[in-house]
Amino acid sequence: MQNRPVIVAVGRTKFGEHYGKEPEKLIEEAWLAASNECNLERKDLDTCYMADYFLPITNKLGLEEGFLSELTELHVPMEVTRSFSAALKTACHAIQAGVYSIALVGGIEKMTDRWYKIRDDLMLLEDPWSYYAGGTPEANHELLLRAYIKEHGITGDALDVLSDALAKIAVKNHAYGAKNPYAQYQRKISVETVQNSRKSANKALGLFDYAPITDGATALILTSEAVAKKLGVCFVSVYGYNSATDYLNYSTRDELSHFVAAQFAMQGVLKNSCLNVWDIPIWEVYDQSTMMEMVSLEDLGYCKVGSAWRSISESCLDSKGCYEIDGKELYVNMNGGLKADGNPIGATGGAQIHELFRQLTGKADQRQVLIDGVLPKYGGSLEFEGFGTKAYVNILGRDLT
Amino acid sequence: MSSEPIERRVSYLGDRLRASRCQICGKEYFELRDYCGNCGRESFGKMANMDLFYEKGKLEVCTLIDEPTNKFSKFERFIYGIVSFHDGKIRVPARITDQILQGSFNPSSLEGREVTPRFRRRYSVGQNDVVPTISLAFTFTDEYYPYQEYKIVQPTKEYELPGIVGYGVYSSRFRIKDGGIERAVPFIDEDSVTAAVEAGKFALIHSGVDSSWVGKVYTGSESNPYAVKPIAAKVAQVLQLGEKDDDLQAIDAIDTEFACKAATSMFKDACAIVNYPCSNINYAMVIGADNSQAAPRGYPGGELDAFVGYGGAAYIFGKKDVIAQIEGWYSCTSDTPDFWRRDGEPYPMHGGRFTGDPAYNKHVRKAASKMMEKSNLKPCDFAYFVPHQPNPSFPVRIAKDLGFKEDQFMPAIQMPKFGNTYSGAALVGLAAILDVAKPDDLILMVSYGSGAGSDAYILRTTNQILDKRQRQKVNIKSLSENQFLEFVDYSTYRRLKQGM
Repeated sequence: MQNRPVIVAVGRTKFGEHYGKEPEKLIEEAWLAASNECNLERKDLDTCYMADYFLPITNKLGLEEGFLSELTELHVPMEVTRSFSAALKTACHAIQAGVYSIALVGGIEKMTDRWYKIRDDLMLLEDPWSYYAGGTPEANHELLLRAYIKEHGITGDALDVLSDALAKIAVKNHAYGAKNPYAQYQRKISVETVQNSRKSANKALGLFDYAPITDGATALILTSEAVAKKLGVCFVSVYGYNSATDYLNYSTRDELSHFVAAQFAMQGVLKNSCLNVWDIPIWEVYDQSTMMEMVSLEDLGYCKVGSAWRSISESCLDSKGCYEIDGKELYVNMNGGLKADGNPIGATGGAQIHELFRQLTGKADQRQVLIDGVLPKYGGSLEFEGFGTKAYVNILGRDLT
Repeated sequence: MSSEPIERRVSYLGDRLRASRCQICGKEYFELRDYCGNCGRESFGKMANMDLFYEKGKLEVCTLIDEPTNKFSKFERFIYGIVSFHDGKIRVPARITDQILQGSFNPSSLEGREVTPRFRRRYSVGQNDVVPTISLAFTFTDEYYPYQEYKIVQPTKEYELPGIVGYGVYSSRFRIKDGGIERAVPFIDEDSVTAAVEAGKFALIHSGVDSSWVGKVYTGSESNPYAVKPIAAKVAQVLQLGEKDDDLQAIDAIDTEFACKAATSMFKDACAIVNYPCSNINYAMVIGADNSQAAPRGYPGGELDAFVGYGGAAYIFGKKDVIAQIEGWYSCTSDTPDFWRRDGEPYPMHGGRFTGDPAYNKHVRKAASKMMEKSNLKPCDFAYFVPHQPNPSFPVRIAKDLGFKEDQFMPAIQMPKFGNTYSGAALVGLAAILDVAKPDDLILMVSYGSGAGSDAYILRTTNQILDKRQRQKVNIKSLSENQFLEFVDYSTYRRLKQGM
């Protein structure tokens, strides 16, 4: 890859409810954290790409580049995207094209400022026709589960196994969240907690199956391999990135029990990076619900279609923290996932990259994953915009030189 | 949604569930499209517009929503899912309506069942906003509303006199039972507009008339959610009445208001317009529909609360394939303030006992007796007498006074099954008769509208009434004697009636 883009620093805020902070404060905190990790200052930045899903709605901020300019006191080119992965992708293109040499990539969301209307906004933006018919953000996940059950003919006791598998996903993610000082929820939960929340809701998925509403910001500094080497800093390379799209209206899609956008994005990235699925043993996936994490294991190619729930149920024990599929270990959502780490939509993809950066550089503390006793070489992230409408897959690799 | 242009576009697609089909590869799409994704450029101009409004679909998957988004909060709990049409070629998001859900929910008992679209309010909006509507609300075909196919039938016979060529009645699934009568209660997403559209839809199905053949539509109501904005325009747009011209309908549509006789008054106008040789109008539709308004009990005007119902009926007039010819009419009017509602007030007031003798009785008696006098007919010449029916006693008393026997008027008295449906009341009574009448039956209908006036009509049924009856599954009997009727208590009734 010519001008391979590399990440030289990452930074983030704690995720949670930041009632006292403006969005500007959050992004400043994330950027300063990244800046402190390397020798780069704001004057070194050639450009900024920032992601927010709906700051114009939640915070009535329509020209985000303006406050970013004010914050950094810079007049460099700046652009805003909807998701962190979209910002990263755009920045990677620019670095590869040789247009800029150092870019700041950031993500921010401030959802608690609009508690009362947030679900209406989310639903209207992600799937308007479903919203008009009465759909809620949770309803699509429940329909995904129903479609999956019907598609694969899961009945009787097998339904309990599936339900247990989904609960174990939440338990695993909370166990990781408990080890992540930045996570919104830093406490362990049990399978019973998840099951009880479903029982009290009289639903197949309950409160503990869903990611929360979150405030937070993330940032990273992107440059090219050559520049990073010149700077003499530790870095993680972006080996591959790809995205794919699907229809806005979930119900009109050909496939209701999967996300074809994730499948296409993954296939493309494997082809471009010349990697095999199992070359990437650690993943940060977009678990807006436990159901989404489960389906993602299939969409990314780790489990056969219709089989992930069995693999999870059989192998996911909370002390191990990984799935065992065909005798191989797969580590997913070591930062706690969206479930425990939190889901400030525009910043969420940044938290995924943040975790991969820490894992690949051996700085993930208690969450550190070792594959056969050594640091993993590659890690992947899957981020969605909307309910599977856009899928971004990024493959990061540690410096092997 | 307070931005009307957006509302207009969403309604345009959603009210009718407009869809497209590629005539090259057969792929189908919800919403209108100019080209097919499979066939690309060569499909331009080859996309057939269609809609799912008269179709039945299948509930593929569903879930329970008990924490709705804000705009749906008044629904409290409802079933939401995905409905497929044409063996899964098209799928749409769907809200199952007309359900007051209690207890546990089991999606697998609902999935796979057939559903039909219902035209309803979409969600709550501010008092000053456009009322959004949609047909992404569905009911199960094996429950209250059976599926009825809309098949266009080329007319075969022309009559000398114009008359009714088809009709449809519409009411809700919910009832309140008190004082020995059952009264229809709209579901929370229903109002006079949705009833008018549904009644019109059923009338088209019954008549077999192509919606584009209808040249004028009149809608009578006293509970239009708008002070200014016609129900008839919504009816014309959703039912595609008149020739389609771009996204306009080549039809004259008008709302009328004269308390409970707003619709019956227009029967003669509809007859006149289809009979006028230069009008080029072969069919005209008259709809009377109300979510009959009444203040809650104990408040001024609250006496009405014991009588009000919900529903309406639509009649299509023409000269071909007539089922009941209009043989004559007589109307009378006086300025009698027995019942009124000032602009901006939510509920009507009425004059107590003043609504009896000097109002209802005086006008109905005059219209009925003059009508018979003019046509040299006596009560015994009629098979049926259909009076306006604001409560259970008025119509019985006047019918007896006029000399009619119980078997002539009791089949028409539907008020104890639906409540007073205001502009729809006489029309619902007439529908009950047309549901059972034999060919060549003579019918006298007399409406009454407060304020005040009466319209009397003489109708004579034809042979074709029997043939057309086969097409109609939703009728007075199916709506009033149905195992899926759901009875609600007083507070639920007020909440549902209040609507969104």
